[in-house]
Amino acid sequence: MEENAVIHYMPYIVIFNFVVVAALLVVFGKITTSRELTSGVPGSRQNVGEFVLDFFVGKAREIGDVKAVTVVAPFLATCFLFILFSNLLGMLPLPVLNNPPTAFYSVPLGLALCAVAGTMIISGVFNGLAGAIKHLVWPNPLQFIAEITDVLSLSLRLFGNIGGEHMTLVLVMTAVPIGIPLILHVLGLIPAFVQALVFTLLTTSFIAGAVHHEHEEEEEHHERLAEDKEAAKSEIERPPVFEGEPATGIQSAGQASPG
Amino acid sequence: MNGVLLALITTIPIGIGATVSALSMRRISVSAIEGMTRQPEIAAQLFTAMLIGMALIEALCIYSLVVALMLAGNIKM
Repeated sequence: MEENAVIHYMPYIVIFNFVVVAALLVVFGKITTSRELTSGVPGSRQNVGEFVLDFFVGKAREIGDVKAVTVVAPFLATCFLFILFSNLLGMLPLPVLNNPPTAFYSVPLGLALCAVAGTMIISGVFNGLAGAIKHLVWPNPLQFIAEITDVLSLSLRLFGNIGGEHMTLVLVMTAVPIGIPLILHVLGLIPAFVQALVFTLLTTSFIAGAVHHEHEEEEEHHERLAEDKEAAKSEIERPPVFEGEPATGIQSAGQASPG
Repeated sequence: MNGVLLALITTIPIGIGATVSALSMRRISVSAIEGMTRQPEIAAQLFTAMLIGMALIEALCIYSLVVALMLAGNIKM
């Protein structure tokens, strides 16, 4: 009887937990920025916020375009923190909040669609509408299929890891309520962090691929070649180091042969 | 096609997927640990790269797991 009630109310539970995770994100943001940020010694809460955001600002800087950092870094931080909090929601011992929203396929599908749509919008912002369409069509006319497979792979990876963990937990708890579920919870902590990280890093690489032009890559390549040539020229001017050693090598070989 | 035949066929995708992905992850973990042995100071970067590689290959195994689960009828999207 109880299981029918749970299955009947499951969509509402998923939506409720989704709203709970969003509220937790807002509370996290409020806590880490609750005092003045630019004066005085940073406290421990600000340190946590800076540690989290520093990682994503660094990743956004690696994309290469300086203008992109203010647009991309909050997007990546939101993706990571939402998936992380939502996965960790499954660790709670409370009855309704036990079900992480990412364990049901609609939520990871929505997240993956947002990530790929965000990629296309960001490429539209930086390269213009013509550049965005050219990115979908140019080197290979069927390139837009890569976007579709990106959606599928991102969503299925996240759903499979977290939803599979959740399904295993539910099945084990109907059989053995005490003891073994604890081990599964502990083992489930690692995929919780790793899947959030992998989702964010893959979104970063998609954005990097969408923002870079071809001629920008050639310019960077030419700059690197020029730097290498200058370094090689400066090495030739230095005198060679190993001048005395070959003689000692022959002498020692000569001494070794009678023995 | 119901009953025992479907239950037996359900084990094929996950069996092949898990075996092949485990054999591929062997190479990743071996080279990551060898690299950490040679240069312990970049162990954190190697660990991150190893995790990302493993997650990408694990995703392929999970696609076959989803197929197996859909065959078993325990999941309705």
